[in-house]
Amino acid sequence: MIWRFGLLNATFEPLWLTHWALAATLVLPILFGLLGALFSTRRVLPVALACLPILLAGGLLLIDYQQAGLLRWQWQVAGVTISLRLNGLGILMLLVTQWVGAAAALYTPGHLRLTNPGKLSRWLWPLMGVLISALSLIWVAADLLTLYAALELMGLAAVGMLLLSGKPAALVAGMRYLLLTLVGSLAYLLGVALVLGYWGQLDLQTLADVVEPGPVAWVAAALMGAGLALKAALFPLHGWLTPVHESAWTPVSALHAALVIKASLFILVMLWSILLPGTSFAPQLVAWLGMLAIVWGGLVAWRANSLKTLVASSTVAQLGYLMVVFPLLLGPDIAPLPQALAWQGFWLQLIGHALAKAAMFMAAGNLILATGESSLKGLAGSSRRLPLSLLIFGIASVTLMGLPPSAGFTAKWLLLQAMVMTQQWVAVAALLVGTLLTAAYVFRVFRYSFDEQAPRHHYQPLAPGMDLIALCLALAAFGLGLLAHLPLSLLHGGVV
Amino acid sequence: MNAAWLPLTTLATSLLAAVAIFILPEEARRLRTSINLVAAVSKIILVTLMIGRVSEGYQDTFSFQIIGGIDFVLRADALGVMFAGLSSLLWLCTTIYAIGYLEGAANRKRFFGFFSLCVASTLGIALAGNLFTFLIFYEMLTLSTYPLVVHSGTAKALAAGRVYLRYTLTAGVVLLLGVVMLYSLTGDHSFASERGLAHYLNDHRGLLTLIFALLVGGLAVKAAMVPLHGWLPRAMVAPAPVSALLHAVAVVKAGAFGILRIIYDLYGIELSVELGVTTALAIAASITIIYGSVRAIAQQELKPRLAYSTISQVSYVVLGVSLFGPFGTIGALAHLLHQGLMKVTLFFCAGNYAEELGIHRIDEMNGAGKRMPLTSLAFTVGAFGMIGLPPIAGFITKWYLGIGAIQGGMYWVVAVLVASSTLNAMYFLPIVHRLWFRPGPAHGQGEWPKEQCLGRLETHGWLLWPAVFTALISLGAGLLAGLPFSPLDWAARVAVGEYLP
Amino acid sequence: MIASFVLLEGVVALCLGAAALVCLFDRHLLRASCLFVVFALFMALAWLLLGAPWLALVEVVLGVVFTGACFFYALGVFSPGTTYPAYNIDAMNYYDYSRDSCSHGVTRVLLALAWCLMMGGAIRYVMPEMVYSPTEHPLVLASIVIAATAMGAFAFHRHLLRRLLAFNILGSSVFLLLAGMAGTVEGAQALISVGLSIAWLGSLLGALLIRYLLMFDHDASPRPDDGVRGQSQ
Repeated sequence: MIWRFGLLNATFEPLWLTHWALAATLVLPILFGLLGALFSTRRVLPVALACLPILLAGGLLLIDYQQAGLLRWQWQVAGVTISLRLNGLGILMLLVTQWVGAAAALYTPGHLRLTNPGKLSRWLWPLMGVLISALSLIWVAADLLTLYAALELMGLAAVGMLLLSGKPAALVAGMRYLLLTLVGSLAYLLGVALVLGYWGQLDLQTLADVVEPGPVAWVAAALMGAGLALKAALFPLHGWLTPVHESAWTPVSALHAALVIKASLFILVMLWSILLPGTSFAPQLVAWLGMLAIVWGGLVAWRANSLKTLVASSTVAQLGYLMVVFPLLLGPDIAPLPQALAWQGFWLQLIGHALAKAAMFMAAGNLILATGESSLKGLAGSSRRLPLSLLIFGIASVTLMGLPPSAGFTAKWLLLQAMVMTQQWVAVAALLVGTLLTAAYVFRVFRYSFDEQAPRHHYQPLAPGMDLIALCLALAAFGLGLLAHLPLSLLHGGVV
Repeated sequence: MNAAWLPLTTLATSLLAAVAIFILPEEARRLRTSINLVAAVSKIILVTLMIGRVSEGYQDTFSFQIIGGIDFVLRADALGVMFAGLSSLLWLCTTIYAIGYLEGAANRKRFFGFFSLCVASTLGIALAGNLFTFLIFYEMLTLSTYPLVVHSGTAKALAAGRVYLRYTLTAGVVLLLGVVMLYSLTGDHSFASERGLAHYLNDHRGLLTLIFALLVGGLAVKAAMVPLHGWLPRAMVAPAPVSALLHAVAVVKAGAFGILRIIYDLYGIELSVELGVTTALAIAASITIIYGSVRAIAQQELKPRLAYSTISQVSYVVLGVSLFGPFGTIGALAHLLHQGLMKVTLFFCAGNYAEELGIHRIDEMNGAGKRMPLTSLAFTVGAFGMIGLPPIAGFITKWYLGIGAIQGGMYWVVAVLVASSTLNAMYFLPIVHRLWFRPGPAHGQGEWPKEQCLGRLETHGWLLWPAVFTALISLGAGLLAGLPFSPLDWAARVAVGEYLP
Repeated sequence: MIASFVLLEGVVALCLGAAALVCLFDRHLLRASCLFVVFALFMALAWLLLGAPWLALVEVVLGVVFTGACFFYALGVFSPGTTYPAYNIDAMNYYDYSRDSCSHGVTRVLLALAWCLMMGGAIRYVMPEMVYSPTEHPLVLASIVIAATAMGAFAFHRHLLRRLLAFNILGSSVFLLLAGMAGTVEGAQALISVGLSIAWLGSLLGALLIRYLLMFDHDASPRPDDGVRGQSQ
């Protein structure tokens, strides 16, 4: 498993251009965010101009990775070693982060102009910049210290962004989220302390060599796992998720559900594959919780009355799919083929969900903005007036349902194949039931929207491009199903 | 020489049409109509080209890799081209009909967009070269039909849509499970492969039977086999062109076509007989045939009666497949085409009665033959074809099915056929009698429920001509069955390919 | 020399524990905040004793000055700038009258117990000598006690400020535990510094939030002269 995370020695030194590209990916978002705070822009063009160099840097890193394979950096700062590495998975997640981030950023000006929030909106850009930088750092960090710093930075920026709407409900929910995420990070830190105290290492690659399974590894994994699961809203620690999204701004919700939660999950999988190689209990536990999550999240979303609650609850269920895969990724005695399939399916599902969920939040935000109502009943008649937003919602939900030809389907296919090969019939049943539950709550939205005998509301026109950006994200999630070998070929590990 | 572009462009015509329609604004009526017609006509041309290529012995294949070991394959083979030909021909007719039918109605953009998507999915199902590709388009079909079923947006339509989704999505999940299990067992298995799954028989007999049950169970929902047929009569709330397309080509036939593919191209007919699944299938199909006919008699409204008739008639295809022997196969394949032509005629006519005269119930149809002679003539042709009277297409399939049953030594099937034909006559002949021989509003007795004079002819031309056209084709398919490229000839070609490799 | 050093360590540990306990369970919020500052000062002393002068400096700056200021700001003792009017919060608000919550009590207790259990496991394996002679590392012992209590307090308290206080004390004890387990090597120092900054930023955010919530409460609560019953949160 370790080689899949690129914790190996690199064959080639990074080129000088690569250094700059890396620096640009990590620093430019914060820099542009600060500029955004200074000018408090509400126009698309400057945002697009700011996104461009960051995306270019990401593309450059991709090209460098494809030429040189695994890239590593190491610095000594005041006696502390900071190490970064860029492997296939890292670059893939980095690109997803940058593109989803750019989409959210481009969506924001229109949203700000239409909702016209107070002066708090000045804080949005710097926080978004910090968030993107921290996320990018998480994908490339290769030691526990950097991971910790990036994780915390991301967490605080996320809390700050979610609070910006300034409604009392948002503040109460945000306070809860803040306290929980801080305590979660203390649990993580204690796990790190354990690792550092016992093995004296923070660097993941060295750690992977010296760790031997035993009580210390288990306790450390449990501590880190608990903290990260809390941050990743894994069932049953998901209670904070729905209220937080209820009153947050649309682009913030999109970024949070698409990326922030996934980053914690990424760290969790990486650390567990180092600390718990070949144990069966912990991954099995996570898998059972995942099955409960699929059912529970689906039921909550099904009963939901407000559109945002529905979309947020579906995240819980979708994370359940990822949790169910844990035994295949980390468990003992898994044949190479199902493990590889599960590995590919896991990340494809994660990426597909990230894109689709961002699109879905944007579409839901557009619907709410245009109808002025946040309840499902308020959608009545919107299929005639807001067909595009609804179509985007539909395309995104195809991915969530896992119906072909979306990324969700291909991912589900890979996972199902791995599970059938390893005879995990309960997990198979959970995945299939999840499909039906997702369909149940998604089509509830459509049932309301197709209702033609509804009173006509006044519909607020949307800013140009708001639907377009969401459509691009939804189509990306959709098309990724057929073009799955492009991202998956990057995933084949750090060796060239 | 492999013309990979051919299947791809054929698929792309309706996909692109769908995209273009979604982009156009609601008001662009003329442009939308032209796009629809141009796409439909060009698709017929492309399918004709494909038929030509297949008859010359080529199998044009388009494929690319999706994930390791699994490809997306579009292949133009004889069976697929047959279904593609049916769908493209009826798409043109139904599009013309729908343009007339929805004149002035709301949400036409949504309707035609999903309509094109629906046809694209059907074409994808026809041309799918392996089970994975088939599954992709099969599920796409489910999704793209939903907005059509709930098109009117009434509470009844929404409830019907819910039932439709409940059935089809559950079936999709079952099918997915079966496909995944099959892939885990055998890997990617092309429909063109000659080997079949026979060499897995010794080690995995139970598993193969289980997978067969899952696959056919999933497909039988769309094929509306009893007891999985509940969605079909409810889906009758959809507009007439949707019912026509759903019943004649798209959804129901997709299920039947899938069963054909599974038995002929995946398992192979010998293996299916060896596993004993064909007998089970024949019994299930017979039950469906009889049950559907009996229920049809009980219906007082025209469209539900036609719906139950569909349930009954589609199972003829399944019945023909499960008879081991070339004649059963020919009957099944020919019925796939013939039933489509006749059923679409009947639905067009039902739609015409409803639009022009407001007729929904059967007892309101007295004397409609005088008021709408051409429509009623077309209806009569379709009804006689369904009963199986010569020289209409329906007769030929029943004849071949009967021969196939006798050859296969399954004499009870003949009894089923006779019983079914009698029942068909029992529910169609009274309608025909009412049309022509009962005095009604046209003779000055009572009045039509809601008469609209839609055109200079008996009804709007866009509504009338498709019905007449399909009725003529059904008649022609029976009369000219001996000519090359007739449905029967093509079915015989496919059957020969299956039995004499 | 060594004996006096251990003695000093013990005294600091005792003071830390006492300050933390009182701070956690005093319902008078202003007093609790003052005690937190005292606690942070003792923390700085503890860092000095553990041989990490830089960490002591960071603790004084971030823990004592900045974080302490956050609490006083949240209480409304001072309000910099004139972005919004400083509400005169009477002595009532300095006192937490809210009953400790029982609604999610069970889950919270379970979570806290799980946390304590894991911490116990951590100590058991990394510092096996602690099991036999717990008084050998008085600071670590103190931090264990403090962490357990702070976790409990965090789980039980309902008042946001008190939960924030509990988090800060919990954080400090975890840092101390980290230093106890891993020693004050550079890596550990870096981790603790990052942790301290994060704790400060979190407290700042929390304090801002509490102020905002207070403002909303104030706006929504019934004014005596209105005569209209408003809807209180």
